[in-house]
Amino acid sequence: MFATIKSALADICAGLRMRRVWIALAQEDIGDQHRRTALGPLWLLINYLAFAGTFIFVFHRGDAGSANYAAHVATGLLVWFYIMETITQSVSLFVREESFIKGTTLPLSVYVMRLAMQAAIRAGYALAGCIAILLMSGVGISFAWIWSALAILLILATTPAAIILFAFLGAYFPDSQFVVSNLMRIGMFLTPVFWTYEGTGGVQHIFYYWNPFTYFLEIVRMPILSGSLPANAFLFCAAASLTLWAVALMLLGRFRKQVVFVI
Amino acid sequence: MVSIHVSNLSLVYRLREKLTLAKRDRRLPTGGRLEGKGRTQYVTALDGVSFELAAGDRLGLVGANGAGKTTLLKVLYGIYAPTSGSVEVEGRVDALFNISLGFRREATGRRNIVLRGLMNGWNMDEIEARMEDVIEFSELGDFIDLPFKTYSQGMAARLAFSVATSLDPEILLMDEWIGAGDPKFQDKARNRMSELAEKAGIIVLASHNHGLLKKTCNKILELESGSVKGLHLAEEWATSS
Repeated sequence: MFATIKSALADICAGLRMRRVWIALAQEDIGDQHRRTALGPLWLLINYLAFAGTFIFVFHRGDAGSANYAAHVATGLLVWFYIMETITQSVSLFVREESFIKGTTLPLSVYVMRLAMQAAIRAGYALAGCIAILLMSGVGISFAWIWSALAILLILATTPAAIILFAFLGAYFPDSQFVVSNLMRIGMFLTPVFWTYEGTGGVQHIFYYWNPFTYFLEIVRMPILSGSLPANAFLFCAAASLTLWAVALMLLGRFRKQVVFVI
Repeated sequence: MVSIHVSNLSLVYRLREKLTLAKRDRRLPTGGRLEGKGRTQYVTALDGVSFELAAGDRLGLVGANGAGKTTLLKVLYGIYAPTSGSVEVEGRVDALFNISLGFRREATGRRNIVLRGLMNGWNMDEIEARMEDVIEFSELGDFIDLPFKTYSQGMAARLAFSVATSLDPEILLMDEWIGAGDPKFQDKARNRMSELAEKAGIIVLASHNHGLLKKTCNKILELESGSVKGLHLAEEWATSS
């Protein structure tokens, strides 16, 4: 086990030393996706605003329970889109990078960090839209926002581990690509992204409490909406992050030299 | 000191039956020996390969399709980890396996040189210092600022070769690279390979072009179904073949 973790850490250290490569490649990726368009990556912002605007317009009920509904949706969509895109893209990561993995000796963590960087850049555009909606919705900037910023850092720190996990899943079980992308699409409705839970029990209660994504949304959302620190949700997310990293290191150490034979 | 020591190298990998409901993919790898039945099949891609190369050696790999030439190059490069035996490679290695590999279609030739340089572990100053040399050698001229996707096969091959050899590799691994490019460029490429070898480097070249191997290499390793059929001096091999 010690050798496995050492092998995984060697890969990650080599990947971090090559940060110029994945930063440059991630920038190229974002540029390529919007090349020849007039607005370029601004489409990422427009896409986010269109979604958030639609949800706010359609579901806003105007009663007391959803006074901050715009802020609720803005923060929820920011985190959910980030999680959904990252996980969906991760499952096909090694398969997409097949020619590189079979033709170069770049450490696998370069591909992982390239995707993490790309996801962070995309989320950066959505974040601009989110802050705009928050300010327009009348949510005051407070010190509690620091907790939200810390929550975002925690999510960013968890991302590479989640990418590693789902990338190996996709490489060894190709069908999981479709399972995961369907689950993530459904997950948007099963997670309190645009609905609010007011403690009424029932099915909503199950989807709220037993859904790990809820807590990753709440650690960003709660400090902004209620000015309080959701300590339990933070602890859960930190524990989930550590668990994901432990599994990811084992997978990376054990299978990083094998993955070239399965894709 | 630049050197390659390969001792009793074997590469065996399992053909995995993926957990899927889809119709089984019955395609099999093109090379090596297939052993086992049903769910556990193993491919012996290389079996007991041993040889040593010292500075200045230019080794040609020959053998039928699927004999293990490309696999051996990929083991030397570090893409495949050997199952048993040892591979010791001293020196900075670069490889030319697939012309378009590592190049981004949408990016310009110039940007691609930067990206390839970064992947080889060079910093921006080192890349800038070699930029003009790469562009000049590739003979791409003003095309260097156009997207890579606008290049012809020959132009892409020239850029790939220029980048791989301008970054001063001590060991260069090549797989059938010379098919592209016009005769004039091929001469130039051959000269550069000689220069590289003279600078106390090692070249390993897999090819079916025996004329090219006779001109370029001083040793020939003949592979058959993953095993060494013979290791010859190029002159001996040229007269016997």
